[in-house]
Amino acid sequence: MTKWYEKSGTDGDVVISTRIRLARNVNHVPFPAAMTSEQKEDIINKVFAAFPDENGAFSCVRMETVSPREALSMVERHLISPDFANGAGETGKALLLSPDESVSIMVGEEDHLRIQVMRAGLDFDSIYEEANCWDDFLDSRLHFAFDDRLGYLTQCPTNLGTGMRASVMLHLPALQEHGIIQQLANTVSKLGLTIRGMYGEGSRSEGALYQLSNQVTLGLTEQEAIENLKSIAGQIIKEERQYREKMRSLPAFEDRVFRALGVLQNARLLSGKEFMSLVSQVRMGIALGMIPNGNLDRINRLIIEAQAANILCRAEQDLDAAARDSHRAAFVRDNIIC
Amino acid sequence: MYCDYCGKQATTHVKKTINGQTTELHLCPQCAAEHGFGSAFGLDLGDFWGSLFSEPTKKSIADTVRCEDCGRSFREIAELGKAGCPTCYRTFYDRLLPSIHRIHGKTQHTGKVADKADDSLKKKRELQTLREELERCITAQEYEKCAELRDKIQQLEEKGGETA
Repeated sequence: MTKWYEKSGTDGDVVISTRIRLARNVNHVPFPAAMTSEQKEDIINKVFAAFPDENGAFSCVRMETVSPREALSMVERHLISPDFANGAGETGKALLLSPDESVSIMVGEEDHLRIQVMRAGLDFDSIYEEANCWDDFLDSRLHFAFDDRLGYLTQCPTNLGTGMRASVMLHLPALQEHGIIQQLANTVSKLGLTIRGMYGEGSRSEGALYQLSNQVTLGLTEQEAIENLKSIAGQIIKEERQYREKMRSLPAFEDRVFRALGVLQNARLLSGKEFMSLVSQVRMGIALGMIPNGNLDRINRLIIEAQAANILCRAEQDLDAAARDSHRAAFVRDNIIC
Repeated sequence: MYCDYCGKQATTHVKKTINGQTTELHLCPQCAAEHGFGSAFGLDLGDFWGSLFSEPTKKSIADTVRCEDCGRSFREIAELGKAGCPTCYRTFYDRLLPSIHRIHGKTQHTGKVADKADDSLKKKRELQTLREELERCITAQEYEKCAELRDKIQQLEEKGGETA
């Protein structure tokens, strides 16, 4: 089945993907940091039991059966958080995954459940609708902890209220090049939003990919938070496009895009960092229509599949840095086709 | 990683090098506090959020109240920056409120209501939405819709005896 990241969506020139994540906990059960292993097991069993035949298409994965390599490849595919991947090989954590990988439910992360829905492009409304359905479905079976005043109760007070983190992954090479990201980060933080690296909290930006998400979860509705995010994302997209247009006419820019493409098509060794920097240039070139036969879907897919752990998983072995860079270069040569 | 003393999840990791010999200690929050490795150690995320809770430094406050579900005291929650279970929020509501206000700027949830939440709350939210819609329709002079909305509001009020 086609995975969600194998196609681009609305405003795909700037927006890679949209994600909604809901933090939910079961009433009268300690939060994960204070749970016994029996309680962890019990929650996993209850969640798995909620997914029998009618949702049989979901894969139910216990993290103790997942190797660290596979777990990291899931982080690269944005299915789980880096923290959750650290639990690979440990008991008490589990993952439910839809066939197209657009819905993932982490059991035993910071909260009992983290329900996540992702899609390509800018698409908050339908994603929220879907996350909301899964939330209702699981609530009717597990009964989530809720307080009239504080909303959904979460382990960390920063998620109280809606428990919702909505985010949009943006490709902002032109704003980055013009040194505008820091200024942008300061502005959005005043509006209750935050801009971070590709893998969320604590991660750096690579390939000019940034995640814009809401910070405040208490005192505003899900719709208000989403509208807020949509409006700011819309302004950022507009700015990015304007700066790209300015760059388009510069001969040096065109040269750089095609040099980047040349390296990706021919390199024999490619480090992760070099790949991200080059693919970012090529992606911008394709979005501007400069590269004939350029395909954003293919590039989006490549950005995920050329990450370190995904390469190791395909190779089905651990590789040293040089071997991995060689595998990456070969994979990119075969798949960039422009 | 588990606590060297009690086997619970370790959150504090201490590395000591004395005369070239390095020893490592992994501790859960409770054992770390007991052995003097409290929040003075580094600025991990727990400490950061912990500092958002206003009371932990006032060690003089009696810490006898414990959450009936998980047994955590307010001080433990403040030190960890994390609640032990959903009931902690109900048990220590008044004491947690200033910190929650500091984090979110607000203290009243206005979003989605859970399935098993109090029915009266759901009704209140529904009424609020209908009244807001009614106001909008009055301004927009959509009188047909106004009548429809008034009926709905009336029905809902009669059903639950809600007059607010």
